[in-house]
Amino acid sequence: MTLEAFFFYAFTTLALGGATLAITRRSAVHAAISLMVSLLGVAGLYLLLNAEFLFVSQIILYIGGILLLFLFVIMLVNLDAGRGLRQFHQRWPLGAAVTAIAGVAFAILWSRAKLPPSQTMPDVGNVELVADTLLQDYLVPFEVVSLLLLVAVVGSVLLARKRA
Amino acid sequence: MNPAAFYPTATDYLRFLPELILTIGGVLLLVLEALTGDNKDKSSLGYLAIAVVLGAMFAVPVALANPGTSFNGMIVSDGFAAFFRMVTLLVGLFTLLCSTSYLSREKANTGEFYLLVLFSLAGQGIMAASNELIMVFLGLEIASISSYVLAGFLRDDKRGSEAALKYFLLGSFATAFLLYGISWIYGVTGATNLVAIRESLAAGTSGNSMAVAAAALMLIGLAFKVSAAPFQAWAPDVYQGAPAPVSGFLSAGPKAAAFAIFLRIFQTSFESFSSRYEPVLWILALATMLVGNFSALWQSNVKRMLAYSSIAHAGYVLVAVTTNSNVGTAAAMFYLAAYALMNFGAFAAVTHLAGRGESHVTIDDLKGLASKQPVVAGLLTVCLLSLTGVPLTAGFFGKFYIFKAAIDNHLYWLSALGLLNSAIAAYYYLRILAAMYMHEPKTTDHPEPVPGGIQLTMWFSAAGILTLGVFPGLVLDYANRFATFVK
Amino acid sequence: MQLWLIPIFPLLGAALNGFTGRRTSQGIQSAIAVGSVLLSFLWVLNILLNSMPAPGAEIRESYFTWISSGNFSLSVDLVVDRLTAVMLLVVTGIGTLIHIYATSYMSHEGGFYRFFTYLNLFMFFMLVLVMSGNFLLLFVGWEGVGLCSYLLIGFYFLKKSASDAGKKAFIVNRIGDFGVLLAMLLLINTFGSLDFKTIADKVKTMPVELSAGILTAICLLLLLGAAGKSAQIPLYTWLPDAMEGPTPVSALIHAATMVTAGVYLCCRASALFEHAPIAQDTVAYIGLATAFFAATIGLVQNDIKKVYAYSTVSQLGFMFLAVGSGAYAAAIFHVVTHAFFKALLFLGSGSVIHALEGEQDMRHMGGLRGKLPITFFTLLMGALAIAGFPFFSGWYSKEAILSAAHAHSPWMFWVAALTAMMTAFYVFRTIWLTFFGEYKGHAHPHESPAAMWIPLAVLAVLSVVGGFLFNVPHFLEGVLPAHAHGHDMTLEIIGSSAGLLGIALSYLFYVASPGLADSFAESFSGLYNLVYNKYFVDEVYDAAVVHPLERTSRGFLWKFLDQNVIDEGMVHGASSGALGLGSLLRLLQGGVVRNYATWVVLGAVFIFSAFSLLGGAR
Repeated sequence: MTLEAFFFYAFTTLALGGATLAITRRSAVHAAISLMVSLLGVAGLYLLLNAEFLFVSQIILYIGGILLLFLFVIMLVNLDAGRGLRQFHQRWPLGAAVTAIAGVAFAILWSRAKLPPSQTMPDVGNVELVADTLLQDYLVPFEVVSLLLLVAVVGSVLLARKRA
Repeated sequence: MNPAAFYPTATDYLRFLPELILTIGGVLLLVLEALTGDNKDKSSLGYLAIAVVLGAMFAVPVALANPGTSFNGMIVSDGFAAFFRMVTLLVGLFTLLCSTSYLSREKANTGEFYLLVLFSLAGQGIMAASNELIMVFLGLEIASISSYVLAGFLRDDKRGSEAALKYFLLGSFATAFLLYGISWIYGVTGATNLVAIRESLAAGTSGNSMAVAAAALMLIGLAFKVSAAPFQAWAPDVYQGAPAPVSGFLSAGPKAAAFAIFLRIFQTSFESFSSRYEPVLWILALATMLVGNFSALWQSNVKRMLAYSSIAHAGYVLVAVTTNSNVGTAAAMFYLAAYALMNFGAFAAVTHLAGRGESHVTIDDLKGLASKQPVVAGLLTVCLLSLTGVPLTAGFFGKFYIFKAAIDNHLYWLSALGLLNSAIAAYYYLRILAAMYMHEPKTTDHPEPVPGGIQLTMWFSAAGILTLGVFPGLVLDYANRFATFVK
Repeated sequence: MQLWLIPIFPLLGAALNGFTGRRTSQGIQSAIAVGSVLLSFLWVLNILLNSMPAPGAEIRESYFTWISSGNFSLSVDLVVDRLTAVMLLVVTGIGTLIHIYATSYMSHEGGFYRFFTYLNLFMFFMLVLVMSGNFLLLFVGWEGVGLCSYLLIGFYFLKKSASDAGKKAFIVNRIGDFGVLLAMLLLINTFGSLDFKTIADKVKTMPVELSAGILTAICLLLLLGAAGKSAQIPLYTWLPDAMEGPTPVSALIHAATMVTAGVYLCCRASALFEHAPIAQDTVAYIGLATAFFAATIGLVQNDIKKVYAYSTVSQLGFMFLAVGSGAYAAAIFHVVTHAFFKALLFLGSGSVIHALEGEQDMRHMGGLRGKLPITFFTLLMGALAIAGFPFFSGWYSKEAILSAAHAHSPWMFWVAALTAMMTAFYVFRTIWLTFFGEYKGHAHPHESPAAMWIPLAVLAVLSVVGGFLFNVPHFLEGVLPAHAHGHDMTLEIIGSSAGLLGIALSYLFYVASPGLADSFAESFSGLYNLVYNKYFVDEVYDAAVVHPLERTSRGFLWKFLDQNVIDEGMVHGASSGALGLGSLLRLLQGGVVRNYATWVVLGAVFIFSAFSLLGGAR
């Protein structure tokens, strides 16, 4: 096992395990922290792919920003309404059956798949590459994202604001 | 690495003009809203928004006069895009016309409403014209997020707030499917441009079967947005809970835009999978018609009935999509335009008749309307007859073309079952008609005058329905000409 | 020739009365309503007298291109050929008479102008229906008359049974319309056209082995539509209920004109039916069965309008029998004579009902001969005509149908002759019960005003001499496919004596020994109850179709899928209306959103697996 493969499996385990815990923990705080673990794993995967820019943004934005906010809110509002409720109610056999079917379907497709050869990213200039792509090829989407964010901001302010 | 630096030209902007106008107008409204005092009458902002939409409507032919792709193939300005831009803008115009008086009545007249409508329209315009999966996603999200907020705009209304939350939760769930599909497509073809995906799949160099999985995932997301069964459950709650003009808006505009990208993506990129998705669409179309029509039969709330009816109509359009042909695409285009007129006309009537706090929205409340307000009843009748599919209305030709396209493509059983469905559907529209014409009014109080904006909307839609019912060629010729996509 | 003027007059009349009716007097409204139909009638006469189309020729006026998509195009054409000419004369002629009658009959009813608006609108659509040059325009008229019929049946909407009857008529007709619509789509697919003439030309050159299947399908679908409009088995149940409408409506729409549209449609499509023998036989069977069963029901009804309603269903069955036997001209002949005598019977019964202040039950009538002499005499003429009394109008057309049935298959002739006997029996039963014996009611009967009895008199004359005067089959030679039938004296004698026997039997039952009918009913009480309750067909339909549909849609689709409830979490959580994170979470954990999400997941898995399994390995 190469070192790269070792790290790949390690990060994958973090990502998947964290995600599983995030939806199974009853305490909201635990769930949020598990999510953080999962996101860390994903960040590690970015690093393995030589996508340093994404790695850094993932850490700063998701873990440093969004998840911290989650935790603040959870602690502030003391939301433990979920504690009393059963997380997995009687529908789990249905869920299992459905998952099995979807799994089989996926396996059928996967067995016939013919994936493109893996590409290795250039070692250097990753940030410039992102910048070039964003501001040249994807200029319009990049700008339109700001409209999306504006709509989201206006919308959330509107819904959260107390009535005058 | 992309060595050739890209500089947008003036033509690039012209092809994107309607959305630019809407965005700039929306931002302007945001600023003006902040500048005007809280207690001022905000109707003037509504009029400004109407002016912006009219400006965008004039920009549509400008964009069409410069056909082609812009911004590196992100946006395509073709007749198909222009058609759906026009339909969504028309729906937006109707919404704004009906909203000023509605919001004043509900004491919620703030500028945010208008700018959210404008932003949503911009999102729908992007959907109609996008030639690229990332743009599709962004357009869809802009339109959706505005819709979530608009649905819950009356924050004191419990049903509205609940509807907005449900819509948001389930909508995000569905978007996740779409996004996952997009990422798979990018993974196996290395492209997000619709034409490039088609070429990559045709060349056979990339993993075809995983692209099938991606197509399935995207179909799930899109089926949700057009409220196809079994993804329709949100629609009745949202249309019932949302303010009446917003319900009209949601049922006509975003749905038309969603069908536009549906058609464009599947006929441009995934045409080679047609043997896989045609049977699935066949079942979805039938299920959607059945669920919509049979659930509508027993509703007593007019808004909820119209919601189920709009699900059923989505089913008819899905029949056209199932044909996977240019004739079918043209039929879908015609139907969506006709549907925008007749459905919004009906919602405009409901907006007025519901009264303050939307307390009069059951069929019983419509009893005797024909003798109390003959004009409103008459115009609503035109819309309902068109929804039923009676000849000399746009709705009849819409159905006629859809099922003609289906027969042409040998979908005999689907056509027969669909027509049988529309025969059943007559029953619930008839209930409204019977309430209006065959009952004495419940109360004798003097009816409130119909606000000008709502009147204008209703007259316009009724006139449009009848015009298209007699001269369907006006829209159909256009649709036939532009039912092909850049490939 | 300005053909468009014919339908436009009633449309203008409807518009005028509809928009100004609130402010004008009844006199003006009557003048507009009657005048507009009369103008149509005069214009029809003008056209036909000046340039009657030769057999096989037509006057065609094309106004504009309606649809043009790809290789399929269609224009708005009005056409007058000899078939249309006959229908036009019937529709406008009888229409004028009934409009005149109605001005008096409806004068004490509320909504006078509304009634005539609907009635004129009906005339417009009916004229479009018979003048159309293609199926699509015909369908416009077809749906339009259905809509007007709905409005007019439910005219007395304060009576629940009336609005229910209107609804039933509309829904049943929608099922028939489904057949016509699907047939039209298949026609476009097969012939690339909807024009009557083009299709008729193309079908002649079509190889049989290619066409048999699709033509049979098209014809059966057209038959479904025709059965809906013309009240044939299995879609006949709406017509008897439709008698809830005002009597002039029953006479005009549900006897003389609209209900014959199905027969007209089959004749228009005769070229298709000629090439689809299976469908044509089906028409004959359905017609015969309807004629027979409706006649048996008519034997025992007590409501005078109900008797005539079942009689109409039965007579329409005769027309379908003629179509199915290939005697299209005989069918149209019967349409004409039936329009005379059935309009007369309905208007006459209206006159009786009017005189008795709304009484419709024959058990409360009797002995009215002296008090309503004109009504009695005219009604007697109508009864003789429908009974097939020799040389009255009904005799000619019925004999033509009977001989055609015999040529098709002899057993059909015998069943039809038996039905003719029952027809004579039940019609004369109404005459005996109404005008003979003792008066059993409490009203003060009086003869109707002139505006009512003059139309009766005109129709009575037509019922007597109409068959002799207008030789419709001869007039239509070369227009419709014809099969040679010689005059067979034996058949004519059998047919005529069936009618006479029926009259004699009913005289025996209801005049000579009045107790006989009751004792018969008692000794065959099981059979009597079965027939009296119309074979429980309505109940069977309810149990077999309506209730299961209702149960499925209510029980499954509505209760299961439509969860129209405010979530518990929301009710307690969002009392102030502010949307906190808390209410969001509570909503997520409540049942409804989870149910919705479950559907999304199930649907997603279905689509995903279908995609993976369909389309073969690639």
